[in-house]
Amino acid sequence: MASLSRRRFGGRADCPRLAGALGAGFLIVAADVAPAPEAAPWGLERLMHGLHQVKAASGQFVERKTLHMLSEPLVASGTLIYVAPDQVQKITVLPKRERLALSGDRLTIDGGPEDRPRSLSLADYPEIGAFVEGIRATLAGDQAALERFYTLQLEGNAEDWRLLLRPKASALKDIVGWIRIAGSGNRIRLVETQESDGDRSEMSVVEDIQ
Amino acid sequence: MTVGRYVPAGLWVIGVVVSLLAIARTELRTDMTAFLPRSPSAGQQALVDQLRNGVVSRLILLGIEGASPDALAALSRTLAARLRGRPEFAAVDNGEEAASAAERDWVWRNRYLLSPAVRPERFTAAGLQAALAADLRLLGSDLAVLVKRSLPGDPTGEVLALVDRLTGTARPHARDGVWFSGDERRALLMLETRAEGFDIDAQQQALARIGEDFDAARRGLLEAGEARLLETGPGVFAVGTRAVMERDATRFSLLATAMVAGLLLFAYRSPRLLLLGLLPVMSGALAGIAAVALGFGFVHGITLGFGVTLIGESVDYAVYLFTQTAPGSSPESTLARIWPTLRLGVLTSVAGFGAMLFSSFAGFAQLGLFSIAGLVVAVAVTRWVLPAALPRQFAVVDSALFARPLLAVIRRAGRLRLPVALLTLGAGALLCVHRGGFWQQDLASLSPIPPAAQRLDQELRRGIGAPDVRYLIVLAAPGEQQALAASERISRALDALVSQGVLAGFDAPDRYLPSDGVQRARQQALPEPDELRARLAQASAGLPFRPDLFAPFLADVAAARQAPLLTRAALPAGLSLKLESLLFRQDGGWMAALPLRGIDDPARVAAGIAALDGTAASFVDLKAESDRLLQTYQHQAVVLTLVGSVVVLLLLSVSLRSWRRVLAVAAPLAAAVILTAALLTAGGRVLSIFNLVGLMLIVAVGSNYCLFFERLSREDAHGERSVASLALANLCTVIGFGLLSFSGIPVLHDIGMTVAAGTLACLFLSAVFSTWRLAGRSPAAP
Repeated sequence: MASLSRRRFGGRADCPRLAGALGAGFLIVAADVAPAPEAAPWGLERLMHGLHQVKAASGQFVERKTLHMLSEPLVASGTLIYVAPDQVQKITVLPKRERLALSGDRLTIDGGPEDRPRSLSLADYPEIGAFVEGIRATLAGDQAALERFYTLQLEGNAEDWRLLLRPKASALKDIVGWIRIAGSGNRIRLVETQESDGDRSEMSVVEDIQ
Repeated sequence: MTVGRYVPAGLWVIGVVVSLLAIARTELRTDMTAFLPRSPSAGQQALVDQLRNGVVSRLILLGIEGASPDALAALSRTLAARLRGRPEFAAVDNGEEAASAAERDWVWRNRYLLSPAVRPERFTAAGLQAALAADLRLLGSDLAVLVKRSLPGDPTGEVLALVDRLTGTARPHARDGVWFSGDERRALLMLETRAEGFDIDAQQQALARIGEDFDAARRGLLEAGEARLLETGPGVFAVGTRAVMERDATRFSLLATAMVAGLLLFAYRSPRLLLLGLLPVMSGALAGIAAVALGFGFVHGITLGFGVTLIGESVDYAVYLFTQTAPGSSPESTLARIWPTLRLGVLTSVAGFGAMLFSSFAGFAQLGLFSIAGLVVAVAVTRWVLPAALPRQFAVVDSALFARPLLAVIRRAGRLRLPVALLTLGAGALLCVHRGGFWQQDLASLSPIPPAAQRLDQELRRGIGAPDVRYLIVLAAPGEQQALAASERISRALDALVSQGVLAGFDAPDRYLPSDGVQRARQQALPEPDELRARLAQASAGLPFRPDLFAPFLADVAAARQAPLLTRAALPAGLSLKLESLLFRQDGGWMAALPLRGIDDPARVAAGIAALDGTAASFVDLKAESDRLLQTYQHQAVVLTLVGSVVVLLLLSVSLRSWRRVLAVAAPLAAAVILTAALLTAGGRVLSIFNLVGLMLIVAVGSNYCLFFERLSREDAHGERSVASLALANLCTVIGFGLLSFSGIPVLHDIGMTVAAGTLACLFLSAVFSTWRLAGRSPAAP
């Protein structure tokens, strides 16, 4: 039920600028009677709808970062867990154990370089928030949340798609070049990030069979 | 005779001219602090003033609501951008990082002097290696973006910790990088004005700017729709209160004047008599203002508006004179008859108002002086100026119209004696039982800020995490450096308490400006450039950092070793303001304040501070202090009320020279006070200091009605006219004070309601308790 209302909210948020108070009411009704997304041709809407149906997922990841400050790439691997609608955990096992948990606006890191677990609000660190939200909102199929930060561009087909996120705000553009998420059906295979300073990272994910 | 006629008039004219001259040179003040108690001890006073005028008083919190979160965020950004360009504001913060760019830059440049982590062991090869290993892991994590920019200059990570410390850890909820309330229905902003919170004119100008810029921002955004701006903060309250006060004092005074004038016009049926009747009160008001101007150097707005109501009883003087003068008789003969009673009435009033002169509320002292001067002049004008100005042949409208029914009522009033006596006894008993929770315990209850505004303030404050100072540590030291050193010692002790979880956090002046000693020690902890280069090479062996990556670090450390020590003048504007509120000069010495946050066990914190040797530091609970203060004032008010009442009683005894007559005057007066007090506290309500002052005014003003009624009961001839004049006079007073009870300002509302109810009761009870011969007569007699 909760997911249904979220979905509806997302649909409405697409065009609030056109809609006055009356219009918004009409759109809610319209969303209820609109044909199921499956009937429409495959596109962003159906991709997001499919992703949104996933209530929980987990997978093994390998992340490779190429940083200009370092003479060799950093490689890390571990487990990625997603629970709808907004919980993401990234548990790094190698080279060193570290857990990063995202729940709502709170990002918690333990086993990190500092002794104590560190907890911070995404709102205070918009640069981290934008990165994290790009991935989490994709996992959640939350198009409205994605579009708050990025313009979206989808390529490919249902079995082999690539979603390109480009930052909207200029402050974010100073940090993020682009993020590309590739997947198949409602699974994510690869997340590539290009930062503005030339640093790159590639994270490939092999999803566990549910 | 003719000379005798002109001398008083001439004196009156001179008096008016002198008064006008005195008034013309005087400043009118309208802030409410005159009606807030002042702290008795100088140290506490300085502290409270500092808090009042410090950063806390300069805060204005804004909320924007009534549109979609996206629109609110856009409005917040536009509004903040506009306000940042305004000279009225020292800081504009809505969550966007740009707000504190200058501060971040300053912290960055001075990180090695500011950071408590700068110690020799941190810059050994081993210490650096540990730092670099941590950096490498941070780069591999998702927090990399946080440190990437600062890493080449700050591999030991001083800045991250410092920024957390200086900007506070409790950050508001945010959306799109802009502060929001938890439910995302309100965007939040925090402003700091350059002017102090109690500089009301400047605050008003700042608020006007905010209003303009908000309107402009809203017009520029299609989606803004019905978005509304909410404002709160000490400056907002000060401006709002002044507006309400001016409005209430002016509106109710004008309304009361109009109603009383209408009533008198109806009674006199002569505009000339009406004007003459208002002559005493107007002369009195003029003299009162002049007296206050000469005595205090300034006149408070409330004294102007409220004072006229207080000396409203001087309207009565003319009423007695006019209505009691029968057609054909001369006003002089009437005056000769009523003068002893009138004089005694004025004296009792002066005794009551005299008690106010000694109040610690500057505002009440002014009102006391105003009233005394006003009444004395008014009665003098009535006695010596007015008769000469009256037309030879005048007659007030036949009072029989309403005097007869009144007399009929009064005749029957005696029957109520037993029920009323029982009622009064019951009320007295209730009051005795009520004790305990009798007084308002909270200083905030005297505050002129309406409860709804206080609630909004709390909501916005909580949402934004703005300081709400209750507990703090205060220390005194002979010099600035000693104060900073002491603050450093206390900070270390508080850090320990924070890690034990006793305390959520605190602020301290040494965070913004470490003592010279500590700054020097930090400089000495930094190795020489060549030494540092060698140690860094050793530390980074085997780690994948690019060579020369840390060149900025080497340069910055070398510069920091040679840098001049930080001084108060070096701080950027925002931090400088903060430091000023935490570290300030006082009585030739220095005081430091360390506000504490999130205390569960105040006693434990107090004990921890008391255990520190060598610092003259004390733990202060401002709430407890202000409650103690309030108790002192209540005590004072009770003493003044009692002294005032005793003086009134003594005056009555000396003048009336008969216990029977004193009782006839004092009994209804006491009963009126008891009944009013019981009415005010009915249903578990509590009395404010203002109610108490009102009770004393019942004695001061109400005694006149009891006195005249007592006199009336001993003479037959002028019965009807006397009753008419008393009823008319009482009605005027009840109108004047009764209207004030509609004011939203506690001081006006509480006093207005108390006095209106009490003086009405005085007249009614005088009738009930009178041993009037008329009461015994048969109705057919007149």
